Formats: sequence, structure tokens, C-alpha cells
Amino acid sequence: MLNQIGNYSLYIALLSSILIIIQSPTLLNQNNINVSGRIFSLISIQSLMIIISFIALIIAFIISDFSNEAVYTNSHTSKPLFYKITGTWGNHEGSLLLWLLVLSIFLLIFTITSKNLSNKYRILTLLFQEIIIAGFLLFILFTSNPFMSLFPIPNEGTGLNPILQDPALAIHPPILYLGYVGTSIIFSSSLAALISGSVNKTWAKHIKNWVLVSWIFLSIGILLGSIWAYYELGWGGFWFWDPVENVSLMPWFCLTALFHTILILEKREMFHSWAVILSITTFSLSMSGTFLVRSGILNSIHTFANDPSRGVFILCFLFILITLSIFIYFFYQNKIKNNFTKTYIVSKETAVLVNNLFMMFFLSVVLIGTVYPIFLEVVNNDKISVGPPFYHKLIVPFLIPFLIFMAIGPNLNWIKDKINKINLQQLLFFILSIIISFIFLKSVGISYLFSLPLFIASIFLFLITIKNFSVKKTNLSQKISHFGFSLFILSVLVNGVLAKEYSSNMKVGDERKFLNKTIKFESLKVYESKNYQSLEANFKISDKNNSINLKPEVRVYDQPQTITSEADIKSTLYSDNFLVFNILKNDGFYNVRYQIKPFMIWIWISIILISFGGILSIVKKNG
Amino acid sequence: MKIKILVLIIFYLISFFNLSHGANSEKVDQISKNLRCLICQGQSVYDSQSDFALSMKILIQNKIDEGKNDEQIYDFLKSKYGEWIVYDPEIRKNTVLLWVLPLILFVFGGILIFRKVSIK
Repeated sequence: MLNQIGNYSLYIALLSSILIIIQSPTLLNQNNINVSGRIFSLISIQSLMIIISFIALIIAFIISDFSNEAVYTNSHTSKPLFYKITGTWGNHEGSLLLWLLVLSIFLLIFTITSKNLSNKYRILTLLFQEIIIAGFLLFILFTSNPFMSLFPIPNEGTGLNPILQDPALAIHPPILYLGYVGTSIIFSSSLAALISGSVNKTWAKHIKNWVLVSWIFLSIGILLGSIWAYYELGWGGFWFWDPVENVSLMPWFCLTALFHTILILEKREMFHSWAVILSITTFSLSMSGTFLVRSGILNSIHTFANDPSRGVFILCFLFILITLSIFIYFFYQNKIKNNFTKTYIVSKETAVLVNNLFMMFFLSVVLIGTVYPIFLEVVNNDKISVGPPFYHKLIVPFLIPFLIFMAIGPNLNWIKDKINKINLQQLLFFILSIIISFIFLKSVGISYLFSLPLFIASIFLFLITIKNFSVKKTNLSQKISHFGFSLFILSVLVNGVLAKEYSSNMKVGDERKFLNKTIKFESLKVYESKNYQSLEANFKISDKNNSINLKPEVRVYDQPQTITSEADIKSTLYSDNFLVFNILKNDGFYNVRYQIKPFMIWIWISIILISFGGILSIVKKNG
Repeated sequence: MKIKILVLIIFYLISFFNLSHGANSEKVDQISKNLRCLICQGQSVYDSQSDFALSMKILIQNKIDEGKNDEQIYDFLKSKYGEWIVYDPEIRKNTVLLWVLPLILFVFGGILIFRKVSIK
């Protein structure tokens, strides 16, 4: 029953898509309010149908309707209700339906909020957006249908991967998708603006909100993923340069660059073509991200569903969209006003260009690092691994000038600024940063080649961004985001330099000395939970003054049978105590890994600050 | 297949060493962070608790005890398991673009910007 409802509503949604696509060319030249009214009702029907199908799928998961194949392969009656619901998008089919849902709701919001813009621009955006929606509908209906019926109906499902049964991961995909899908609106509207010859101030002003919204969701989505990896994968790290992580970082770089460019376009009517190119690229990266993750090409711990035939479909779809956009770009490029106003090298405009240059560089490092091994294997059958050392070697040296530019850039004036103005106050801060870095690194006894300049640059940025709060000229949201970024870099650096870890094999009752602390394995107990058995250890970490207890777990899930390690983390403002243990084959011994991670919590706080700046910018403008 | 046999041999060797002994040295951590756990899905040897990873860590420790330096250990591992095991691809004919392409893009973009803005 639910399967039928889901299927039929998706077909109706597809029909609406086709109707809109067919009608739009004839509607383009009419400036009739009734016309857009008809389109609007079609879009509303479409959204409603997709919402219905999504709700049908959620209900199927809640009531464990095993006549549905997606429910059967990804759920189990013993699973807690919360994870039954989040299991809806914890699998390939459901997550695509979520993509589609967000896609159609965003289009509806776009249609409502763009009423005062030109008819041609709106219809064209709708057209492109509907092409994407139709593509996704076809993809879902014919390769990844979440409403496949099973007969005879099984009594029990096979369960959701326990590693995904986690609160942070439950909301991570929807948030990330909001970011990804937001870029589709940017893509469609930039093409529409290009064709209708309205790549200008008004467009920039309108699309800025969409750029911000996508950027905020993407940032928070990446944050949630990192937090999840930090405590659930039990590695103690938060970023592994894993292909699937990289895939979410790439559109982030692009969006960050685009946002800065859009600001210039809005204020100074410059960089029109570049803004369009970035819009197209951002969406292409989001789509390729979905393709790479879904196709199973990537060798990654995060890849939880894959099937080559689906990959081929997305690849073709992606190819068509990119070709189409490149074609449109070159065909209509001459419509873009190309009034490159005279700009001097010391100016805010140049600063934004430099920001874009660095963003594109970081993007290219991550992009090439992620896809190069795939191509090399296909072309030459030469298998290589690209991991953290590669990214660090290429990114860190460029981070140093980037941070310094970021400190100086935002304080420059438009068009032309004096060079000597930069030097006075900032020189003082720079000298101060050198002194602080030097003392800090000496006191902790670090003498790596890159440490000193890197610390100087990040402390410099940190000081400048704090100082900027006293300057009235720039806006508050920018100050918060930039300050958040400097805090982020600094926390990551301090965390990286000062983190301490200890790993050993211990049995109950063992005691180990580590630095000035004693780690005691006090006890071990077994308890039963709804859908897993847990082995809970109790460790006491004590030094002269105080002691804390950490209780990591090893969980044995039965549906499907999986063992997961749950780290126990005690966070304070200064540092995290992180402890995780694993079962070893030797009787009675457990592998114990204890880590002290200074300023860990500040990494999360700083990313929240960065995003908060964006939120403030939207609220302030509309409030 | 080769890998499987090697893993088996190494795993057999483990039984001679007592796993219950002590902490991994910092050096082992540092090296194992740069190695891919070949039987895992995108995890480093350092992060993994699989049998393969555990035996690798012992192997690295042994090599260190033998007095081998980092480079010799990486070379040894590369000759045994192929270049796929290291996360830090060396620069050679097939990988030169991987390292250089981003740098070329940066220089190219820099020149573009420099030509657009006026210096005076």
C-alpha cells in the first residue's frame, strides 16, 4: 500500500516536471501573471507529491513494513524508533529521495521569494531546476527506487549498519544535502541570469542569500560529520582527508570563493563572468560529490551503498548538465557586461581576487588529490594512495601567505588604498605574533620547519581579527566569521602540536604510567541494550591533583552483526580526554588508546562561529 | 593473493611476540599514520585495529629495532606491498602531474590577477 502511494506520487511529480519543461519555452515571452500562477500550482503539486512519497517512506520505516525492499535491507524491528526514522535516509534510495525532497522544496521557496524579479529570469531558473528534478526522478524511479515491493513479505529486516546509528550522523546527511541542493538553485539561476542578460547587482543581491544558505548548511554538515568521525570511528582525529570528506569540502571552497565574489558584484558591478563560472562549478562539484560517493568508485570507510550502474547514470546526467552549462556559457557570454573598472593592486577588490586564488588552489589540491588516483588506476593500472601527507605538504605552505592576506585584505578600502597605511599598526601586531609564537614553540619544545611561520601567520590573523571588532567600518557578521576562521586554524594547530597519546594492551586491574598521569583499568561489565550488547570498561585517569573516570564501550550489535567501539570523551575548555578500547584476540587483554587533545572543543566552536556569521548576515538583512 | 600470504605469515609471526607488552613507540605511530591498512576501507594502519594493522605495527617496530631509518622502512614496505600502501605518493613519471598541477594553476591564476589590476 505504502509502496504504491510512494510510486504513484513520484510518477505524478515526474509528470509535473515534464509539463513544466514543455510549457516553459512558450511562457518565456509572455508577461502574464496567470501564466506564472499555473507554473506555481504545478510546482506546488510536485512538491506535495514528493513530500507524500517521503512521508510514505518514513511511515514504512516506522512501522517496519518489510514488503518494502529498502526497509527490509536497512531496518529491523528491534531498532529504536529514532533510528528507524533516520534510517530512512541512512541508505542509498532514501537519501536520494531526501535530495529530491530538498530540491523541490527549495524550488518552491525560490518561486515564492523571487516574485519581484523578471519573468524571463524566473521561468528560466524554473526550467533548469526542473531538468535537474526530472533527472533525479528518473534516476530514483529506474535505478534506485525506494518503493520496491518484496513478496513473500519477510518477517524481519536485516538491520541498519550500527556505525550509522548515531545522533550526529542521523542529522548529518539532511544538513549536508541542504547545502548541496542549495547550490543547484545557484546553478540554475546563474544560467538563467546569463541567458536573460541580467547578471548584475540585482541578481547578486538576490542570489547572495542562496549562496549564504548553502554555505551555512554545508559548513554545519561538514562539522557534524567531523564530530561524528571524532567520537564514533574511534580514531581520535576529526579530519582524515578521506575521499568522501574531501567531496564535501570541495563545494565549500567554491562557495566561499563565490560568496566573496558575489559581494564585489553587488557593490562594484565587477567579476560577472567569474561569478557565473563559480556558480556552475559549485553545483558540478556537489553533483560529482554525490556521484563519487554513490558510485562506489571511492575507497572509503564512509561508502555504505554502491552500485556501478547507478554511477553510470549520475555520470551521464552530470556530463549532460555540465556540457549544457558550458555551451550556454559560451553562447551567451557576450551578453555579460564586461566593464572591468580600473582596480589598483592595493584594494579590497584585489584582496577578494587573492582570496579566490587561494580558494581555487585549495580546491584544486583536494580535487586532484581525490580523483587523480582513480584516473591513474584506470589509465595505467597504477595504484597509488593519496592521503594526509600529500595534502599537508601542498596546503600548509600556502596557508601561511593566505592567513596573512586574510588579515590584511578586509581592512583595505575599495578601488585604491595606500600601501603605507597597512604597515603602521599591522607591523606592530606582526612583531607581537612573532614574539608570541617564538615563546610558545620554545616552551613546548617544538622546532619543526613550518611550525614557526605557520604559528606567526595564524596568531597574526587571530590578533587582527580581534582588533577588527573595534573598527566600525566592516560589518559584524564578517568579523565573526573571520574571527571564527582564525580561531579554527589556531585551535587545529595547537591541538596538532600539543596532542598526546598513549596506546597499550591492558587487562583488568592493570596500571600504566603516562606523562604525569596514571591510567588504571578498574573494571569491566557487560550489559544488554535494546539492539546490542555492551562491554563497558571503567578507566581511572589520575594525576596528583584530581582524577577522572572514563567509560568507553565495545558494542556488539546483532542486526547486522557488527562490533563498534564507543570512545568516552570528557571535554573541558582546555582539553579533551579521549579513551577508546578494543578487544584483542589474546585472552583478557584489551587494546587501550588514551589521548589528550588540547583545545578540541574550540575547533567545533570556531566552525559554529564561522557559520553563525553567515546566519547573522541573513537575519540582519531580512530583519 | 601475495598480500594474503604475507598477512598470514606475519600473523603467524605475531604468536612469537607477546602482544601484551607495552606501548607502541612514537616512531611506530608516526610511520603507521602514513600507511594504508590494505584490508580496511580507507583507514590508516595507525587507526585500524585489524589483524593486518596490528601485525604491521609489530613489523615496523621490529624494523626500527633492527636500526632501519624511516626511508628504509617505507622502501621495504613499498617493495613488499606496492606503492599503494603509502599515503604519500613519490614523485615519478605517473605522479608528477598530481604534485605539480595545483601549483601550475596557482601560478597561472596569480599571473591572471596581476595582469588585470593596475600596479600604480
